[in-house]
This record gives sequence, structure tokens and C-alpha cells, in this order.
Amino acid sequence: MSEGLYVPLLDLGCGAFLLAGVLVLWRRDLMAIVGLFALQGMALAAVVVLLGVHQADAELIAVGVGVGVLRAGLLPYLMRRALAASGEGRETQPLVNVATSLLVAAALAMLAYAVAQPLIRLSPTPATQAVPVALTVLLVGFFVLVTRRRALSQVVGFLLIDNAITATAFLTTSGVPLVVELGVSLDVLLAALVLQVLTTRMRAAFGGTDLDELRELHD
Amino acid sequence: MITPVQVAVQITVQIVLVVAGAPLLTGMMRQVRARLEGRAGAGVLQPWRDLRKLARKEPITPQGTGWVFRLAPLVAAATVLVVAAVVPLTGTTSPLAGVGDLFAVVALLALGSVALALGGLDTGTAFGGMGASREMTVLALVEPTILMSIFALSVRVGSTNLGAIVTRTAEDPLDVVSPVSLFAAAALAIVTIAETGRIPMDNPATHLELTMIHEAMVLEYAGPDLALIEWASAARLGVLLGLLASLFAPWGIAGVGAGLAAVALAALILVIKVAVLGALLAAGEVFMAKLRLFRVPELLAGSFLMALLAVSASFFLG
Amino acid sequence: MSLVGWLFAAALALCALAAIGGLVWPRSWVAGAGTVAAGLAAATAGVASVVGSRWSAWLPDVLPLAGVRLSIDPLAGLFMAVTGGVSVCVAVYGIGYARTPGHRLDSRGVQAAVPLFVGAMVLVPAAASVSTLLLAWELMALTSLLLVLAEHRRRAEVGRAGLWYAVMTHLGFAAILAGLALFAAGAAGESFDQLRAAELPPGLRNAVFVVTLAGFTSKAGIVPLHVWLPRAHPEAPSHVSALMSAAMVNMGCYGIVRVGLDLLGGGPAWWWLVVLAAGALSALYGILQAVVTSDLKRLLAYSTTENMGLVLVGVGAAGFFAASRAPALAGLALTAALLHVVNHAGFKTLLFLAAGSVLRATGARDLDALGGLRARMPHTTVLFAIGALCASALPPGNAFVSEWLLLQSLIRVSPLSGVAGAVTMPLAVAVIALSAGLAVATFVKAFGVGFLARPRGVGAERATESPPSMLAGMGLAAVACLALAVVPALALPAVGSAAAVAFPQTPPGLVSGAVTLALAGVRGVLSPLLIAGSLVVALVAVLGTVRLLAARRARRVARLWDCGAGPMSARMEYTATSFAEPLQRVFDDVLAPETDVDVTPARESAYLVERVAFHARVPDRVERRLYAPLLAAVDGVGRSVRGLANGSVHRYLAYGFYALIGMLVVLAVLR
Repeated sequence: MSEGLYVPLLDLGCGAFLLAGVLVLWRRDLMAIVGLFALQGMALAAVVVLLGVHQADAELIAVGVGVGVLRAGLLPYLMRRALAASGEGRETQPLVNVATSLLVAAALAMLAYAVAQPLIRLSPTPATQAVPVALTVLLVGFFVLVTRRRALSQVVGFLLIDNAITATAFLTTSGVPLVVELGVSLDVLLAALVLQVLTTRMRAAFGGTDLDELRELHD
Repeated sequence: MITPVQVAVQITVQIVLVVAGAPLLTGMMRQVRARLEGRAGAGVLQPWRDLRKLARKEPITPQGTGWVFRLAPLVAAATVLVVAAVVPLTGTTSPLAGVGDLFAVVALLALGSVALALGGLDTGTAFGGMGASREMTVLALVEPTILMSIFALSVRVGSTNLGAIVTRTAEDPLDVVSPVSLFAAAALAIVTIAETGRIPMDNPATHLELTMIHEAMVLEYAGPDLALIEWASAARLGVLLGLLASLFAPWGIAGVGAGLAAVALAALILVIKVAVLGALLAAGEVFMAKLRLFRVPELLAGSFLMALLAVSASFFLG
Repeated sequence: MSLVGWLFAAALALCALAAIGGLVWPRSWVAGAGTVAAGLAAATAGVASVVGSRWSAWLPDVLPLAGVRLSIDPLAGLFMAVTGGVSVCVAVYGIGYARTPGHRLDSRGVQAAVPLFVGAMVLVPAAASVSTLLLAWELMALTSLLLVLAEHRRRAEVGRAGLWYAVMTHLGFAAILAGLALFAAGAAGESFDQLRAAELPPGLRNAVFVVTLAGFTSKAGIVPLHVWLPRAHPEAPSHVSALMSAAMVNMGCYGIVRVGLDLLGGGPAWWWLVVLAAGALSALYGILQAVVTSDLKRLLAYSTTENMGLVLVGVGAAGFFAASRAPALAGLALTAALLHVVNHAGFKTLLFLAAGSVLRATGARDLDALGGLRARMPHTTVLFAIGALCASALPPGNAFVSEWLLLQSLIRVSPLSGVAGAVTMPLAVAVIALSAGLAVATFVKAFGVGFLARPRGVGAERATESPPSMLAGMGLAAVACLALAVVPALALPAVGSAAAVAFPQTPPGLVSGAVTLALAGVRGVLSPLLIAGSLVVALVAVLGTVRLLAARRARRVARLWDCGAGPMSARMEYTATSFAEPLQRVFDDVLAPETDVDVTPARESAYLVERVAFHARVPDRVERRLYAPLLAAVDGVGRSVRGLANGSVHRYLAYGFYALIGMLVVLAVLR
């Protein structure tokens, strides 16, 4: 693939990856959040496939397709099912209100950019230059974990972090061994399943998935 | 080099396009909405008929108002006219390029809003005050987004000059799909909606005091004054959509030293682009409800985030 | 002695004469005329020195020990010219204002203190040694304190404001004294030339900068040292507020530029990031408080904090660019900052003077009790409108030009120059943008609620137009504002040469052009004159079209839309508080407003309500969080040691005795 097309497409993919990540903070509708997560999975898969095509690496392309199937297909499907079963539609009262969350995300983006500079200086390729994007999504995912109440939002926050780590790995090293990627993906899938079981149990026990109510377990 | 004749032609073309086309744009958008909602609609020419009707009515001065109230519609219309002459709609070198850059354009549009807000306050009614207060709130919160978007667009060019930005994008079409452009376009689109008082910020078709911003502010105006305000708000929408088209899709725009035929072609393409954008906006409005007033800051914070991401993307993605 | 020297000496002599005249013959025109002449002399001296004639003098016999060292370079000249210009407007205005019945402003004390205050402010930038600067600084603080307290017999709050001002200004003085003393000790000499030549160890340089920065920012009203400003400015007589807000606070910025950029010769990037951060914080905090307050003079005071914040953003950016080796950007940023000082002085003079006229005519500062002045004070209304347009940074106002320049310098930051700049500058742009937007809302509120619609209080109903001398003072300021707004090239060369004092290596011609401002090396242009011109042309065109096409019937006066319920009373109007409510709600977390509702039940039954009282106020959060605990702690210490002083004379004498014995014992042991 020509360099002239590779860089804009890579940037575009990373842009979509970032956009989907920060939009999770914006939307209250849980179904829309799952949709955004699927979109992000697609962007991630596209970036990986693009890297594979650029390096003419068939294995990387295969991994990219696998990532796409898992993160844009299977995980969103599982989450939608859990959501349909729970009947909870909205993230009603996040601990930090939406406008402030968005401003915090802006600050996190600047922080990620500052932190990533030494990494970029090591090997300034178009791919490593996009590392701040992945770091921003990582921080945003962590922020979602800290501030959102619904269990499903928590799952999404966790998965955002995972997406970000995967993206960082591919952008910096241009490919992890297939076995490692498979292992990580299976871990994530497992975690998602565990969380789903947990939310089901929580709902059975407390009638809702507001995590603040877990405090009662402590008392 | 650009000749005085060409400048005159370009200014005339742009001003005529905005003056004549803005009400048609509003009419077209209403027609699109009507058709999508299953109504017949009043036709594209209806805003022009309304303007003619209003202009023939007798001018009214509400009791207790003064020169500020009388001056406000004139200032609002004049700022839009100046902006229409300054922005590069048909050619990459804007006809009055020496007057100002994007910052000046934004500030001029704000001046128009301020004039109307003062007109609203001058009436001393609760409606006028409420509308003015809300309009100023939105204006204050929109400002960071606008300036950040300008910042993002200026990084590649090293200048906030509109002509320079448009030229650069016209020469390098791949730039349009870069994250910088996309984030900035999204941010500026939200800003356009906020500045022109469309759904989901404000509903131009409502007259219910709890929901309206712009209409509350101009409630006391009637006759020719109201005609001016209606025209100015239509023209503001038209100019902003045209500016968006020039910034993010400058294809077909006339280059430096292009002949009259190129300018005419550019004008035609501009009309098509603005019509498409207007139709998209109208179609979007059909599927959306107006936001609660205190949800508006969320939307604006989101657009600010987009603009900031555009700036940082322009820094780190090169 | 050069022309500058003669003019400067004349300015000081005229100030002294005016002060003596005011003492001997307390008629407002005596001191007023003297101050006008002094202001003119100072302004001319400033302009002459900016144009290129320098002057310096050493008068060893005037003061014991160090003598007095004076020197006027373009940087000093700029500040001197600003002070002179402000003084002229204020003095003309003061002639009529001092005769306000019931204000007692034509007393000997006030009449003598105004020229002295002006003289001290002219002296500060001319000082060329540490002792001279400190002396002038203290003189400025004392005379302004006297003036703040002018009306202390009429209102109790004046005394409290004066106390805050006295304490803050003296803490600031102590900081400057400590910092400059450290500097002079390290440099082995106290004249500015010796300080410039000194090679100090980095630790000492840092200490000098940080300590003097604290002192100077307290004078400039920068958060968190701004607390005296929203208290002292509203309580001082309005022409004094104008002098303080438009001329005195500038000296804080002057001090930072002089010490940080000139004497210390710039420094590490973190110094300037601190300055920039303090400026950004002040800009946002100041304008947020201004937008929610409904006291007109308090609003203007907070707007001063905002504008000084913007100036410091420029100064900080300049220092930062200089530290990261971008001299052209540094020069541009400092030019923008200094131009903003000039512009702010213009519109703030005008606004405070207009607020004084309103206060004089209505007896009210509360916007919620004003309104309807458009018909009763037409000239003041137009003048305030000009000031408000300039202050809200919209074209064709003067602040728009300086903020435009500032933004142009900030967005030129290169991402290659380092992470700090690439992260800071976008945030600084965002802060400037938000504060500009909020400033628009603030001044629409101040003008729209204060002057338009119908009167909301008795005072506003009875208002009458101010006497001609007050209008003339405001008119001068308005003309200056408009001239700066339309032809900024009038001030730009002066500002540029002042900036060149701090950055001698700046390439010349950064901002050029008489009609169209062109920046060196880029295509960024702005033409305030063409903007104003095309606005006028467009206005005429629109008006002509309307006259031509619309119905040519006479205007009919009609009732306002009152929902058919009869004419509306003034109580139904939107007030300043309700105008700012949406913004207050948006920034709820930052402002932390306090509301409380008192419900008084009727005697017969707890379910029947007799009276509901609603109180809402937005306290200064910095004051509440930072100063209140500090004051409480000091208070507590004071109370706990009260036991030491029980009123017995023997006990007090005994303390002295113990101290003497203790000292002798220490000496005996150590020696």
C-alpha cells in the first residue's frame, strides 16, 4: 500500500477509535454506549488490518479480523443481551456530571499527549505518533470505571481499557505474537462473561445494578 | 494578482447570493421538514412572501423602548452583510481579505447577537430578558469551541487567514478526511447549530416561553424591523453553512485570478453545497427533539472536547 | 536635562503644587486643573521617551544613604503615559464629581491626596533603584489608602474595605521589599544597572522572582491575592476607583515585566508557566465572579482582575517563548499584553467614571435597582455603551485588537518546541475564549439591565444627567478608546518599543501597517478601521434599503405584549440576578452559590405561610476557602495569647525586663 494513503487512513482509524471512546462519556443511553463500543472495536480492527496490509503480514491481518469479530461482534452481542435482560436503559446519575466528564476527558487527552512524547521520540513513525490516542482512551476507560454507576457502563469502561492496551501494543510494536493476542482476547471474553454472570446475580440479589449499593455488602 | 474588478464582482456575487438566497434556504429547509413529516409545506418561496408582507406593515415602537431597540435589527443585519463580504464563499481569496480573519468573522457574528440581546433587554419585558440571558449564556459557552476549532484549522497553515486555510484544503483533498478536519468539522457544526438557534439548541418554530431563546428575544419586534431580523437570522445560517462548505469541502471554489466564468461556476456549486447541508440539517431536525436548556452545556462541552481533540490531533498526528 | 526630564520634573512639581493648592484652597477646580496639567506633562514625557529620548538622573542628596535614582526608558514611558492619560480624564471628571452634595469629596484631604497619588504613580515606573522604587511604591499605597477611606464616615463598609486593602497592600509591599532586598544583596548594589549586570546563583534568582511575583500580583489583583480589589474599588470614590483600576494595578504588571524580564533577564520556563497559570486562573475566576455579581462597581472590579489576568497570560507566554527560544513570538506576546494594558486603562477609566455618574445620580450601585437611565442620562448611557463594547472584546472595540494579537501569538506555538508549550497554549486559548465569551455576557448585563428598559428603583427614576465636566472626563476617555480601537497603529509603535526593552533581540516590525495590521511572517491580518468602515457602510445600506422598500408610514407607539393582563410593572422586568442565573447554574460547581429560604408560618397554623424570604448570594470562594481559615487561625492565636496582656503596667515592664535579661544571658553564654 502506498505511503500516501496509509498515513491518512491510519490517522482516520485512530480518530474514529478516539471519538468512539470519548463519546461513551457523552451518551447516557446504555444501548448507544454498547453501539459506540462496537464502533470502537471496528476502528481497532481496521487499524490492525491496515498495519498488516502495510507490513504485508498475513498473520497480522488475520489477527485484525479476529479482533474485529470479537470486539465489534461477539462482545457487543453479549452486552446487548445482558442489557435486554436487565431492562435498564440509561446511566441516570453518573458520579461526575456529563459536562464535567467531557472537560475531564479533554484534560486527560492533553495529559496522554504529554506522557506519550518520550515514547514517540524513540521511533517517530506514523503508527507510534498515534499512541497518545490509545493512551487517551485508556485514561477515559479508567475514568468511566471510576465515575459510572451501572454495571454495564463498568464493563464498557473495562473493555475500553483493554481496547486501548491492545491498540498501544499494535501501534508501538507493530504486532504481538498471535498466541499472546489469542490469550488476551480469551481473558477478556472470560472477564466479560464473569461480569455478566455477576450482574445477573446482583440484579437477582438487589434488584438493580447500581454499584453504589454494593457498599451494603461491606456493612 | 487579484484585480479591483474581480474583487467587485466577487463581493457582488457573494452579497447577492446571501441576500437573495438566505430566505430561499430557510424555505427549502422548511419544505424538507414538511415533506418528511408528511405535510405538503408552504413552498420554498414562503419566507420571501413573509418578508414582503412584514415589510409593508406599519413600523411599531413598543412603549418605553429607545434607540437601542431601533438600532438592534440594523446592526444584526449589517454584521451579517459584512461577514458575507469577508468570508471566501466563491473564491479562495476572500474579496475583503485584508479586513479580518476567522477571529474577526466570529466576533462580528457575536456583535450581531449582542445587538439583538440588548434590543430584547430594552423592551423590559420578562420575555426579552429571558431570551437575552439565554442567548448570552449560549454565546459565552460556544466561544471556546469556536476559537479552538480555529486554532486546529490554523495549525497546518500557520495562519488564521480564511483564504489560506481554504486554499490549503482545496490543494490537498486528503486533508479533509484527517482526524483534525473531522473533529473540527463536528465541533463547528455543533457551533453552527447553536449560533443559528436550530434544534436541538433552540426551536425556531416555537413560541412557548419555556423553550425558546431567539424568538423570546425578538418577541416585541414587528413589521419591517421583524423582517430585518428574520432575514438576518436566515442569512446568518446561510453564511455559516457556506463557510462550513468552504472550509471542509472547498471543491469547485475559484482559485486566485480565476475568471468570471469560474466565479459563476463556484457560485453555482456553492448553492448546491449549501442546499445539501441545509437539507441534511433539516432532515436531522425531524428526528431530534429539543434539548432541555440545562442539557445544552453538555452538548457544548462535547463540542469543546471535539475542538480540543482537533488541536491535539493536529499536534501529535502531524 | 533632556525634554523627557523636564516634562517629568514638571509633572511631579505640578502634582506637588496641586496638592498644596488643594490643601490651601479646597476648591475642586484648583487641584483638578493642577492634576490635569500634571497628567498632560506625564503623558507627554512618556510619549517622548517611547519615541526614543531616554533620560536618567542620580540625585544623591535628596534622600539619605542611597539617594534617588531615576531613569525613563520606553517601558517606563509607556506606563507613565498610560498613568498620565488616565489622570487627565479622571481629573477633569473629578472637578464636577467632587462637588457631589453629601459626598464630602471636596475636603482638603481628598483634594490633596489625588494629585499626590498621581505623582506617586508617575514616580514608580521612573524609579531606577530598589530604594527609590520601594519609596514610590509605598507612597502610592499610602495615598491610595487615604483615598479609599475618603467616605468612611458615611458608610461602615468603607472602613472594612480599607482595612483589607491596607493589609493586602502592605503584605505585598513586604514581599517586594524582601525580594528586591535579596536581589540587591546578591548583586552587591541596588541600582537597576547593577542588578542587570549581576550574576546570581539559580536558587537565589528563583527566590527573588517568586517572592517579588507574589508582591506584584497582589497589586495587580491576581487570584488568589485579589481579595482587596472587589472590596476597595466599590467603596472608594468612583474617580479614585478609576485611577486605581486603570492605572495603579498596571504597576503590578510593570513590576513583573521589569524585574522578571528586564532585571533578571528572563528565566526558566517554569517561572513563566506559573505567571501564565496565575493569569489564566484570574481571567476565568474574575469574569465568572463579574458575571454573577449585581453590584456595578464590584462587577467592574472583578473585570479588572480578569483583564490583568489576560495581561499576565501574555506576559507569561512571552517569557515562556523567550525561554524556548522563539524571540519573534515572545515579542508578539509581550506587545499584545502591553497593548492590552493600554486598552484596559482606556475602557476601565470610562466605565468606572460612568459608574460614578450613575452612583451620583441614583445613589445606587445595585443593578437590580437601576434601569431606565437611557432616557434620563442619555450621554452617560452612550458613553457607558462605548466602554462596554470595548470591554467585551467585540469589534469595533479596542480590547478586540489586543486579544486578537494575544491569540495570534498563542496559536503560533510550534508542537516541536516541547510538550509544555503544546499542552499549555491550547488551554490558554480556551481560557481566553471562555473569558471573552463571559465578558460579553457580563457587559450585556451591565449595560442592558443597568441602563435600558424601565427604572427598577426610586433612585433610578429620579436620575438626572451629570454636569459637563464629568461628561467631558468620560468623553475624553471614550475618544481615546475609539481611537485605539479604530487605529491601533497609534499605540502599537510605542508598545513595540516598550516590549523591545524586555526583549532587545526581538526582530523589529513584528506588527506593522497603519490601517491593516500585518504580522511578520504570516498571513494573519486585521484591519479594525476597515471593519468599522464596512460596518458603517453596511448599516447605511441596510437602513437605506429598509427606507426604500418598507412601508413609509410613521412609527406607531404600541403597548408591550403583556399577555392581555394590563400594563406591566417594573417589578416584572428581568433583573441582573435573573439574567445571570443560567450561567450561575452552569458554573454551579465553581461558584458554589449560597441560597436559603426562610419560611415564617402563620400564628394560627403551621401549614399557613405568612412570609417567605429568599436570600441568594455568591460569595468569593477564594476568600471563603483560603482567607477565612487563615484569619480564623490568626484570630485564635491572638485570643490564646490574650492572657499575656492583662492590663497590669508592672507586667508589661516585666516583659521588657525579662527580655533584656534573656538577651544578656544569651550573649554571655555565646561569647
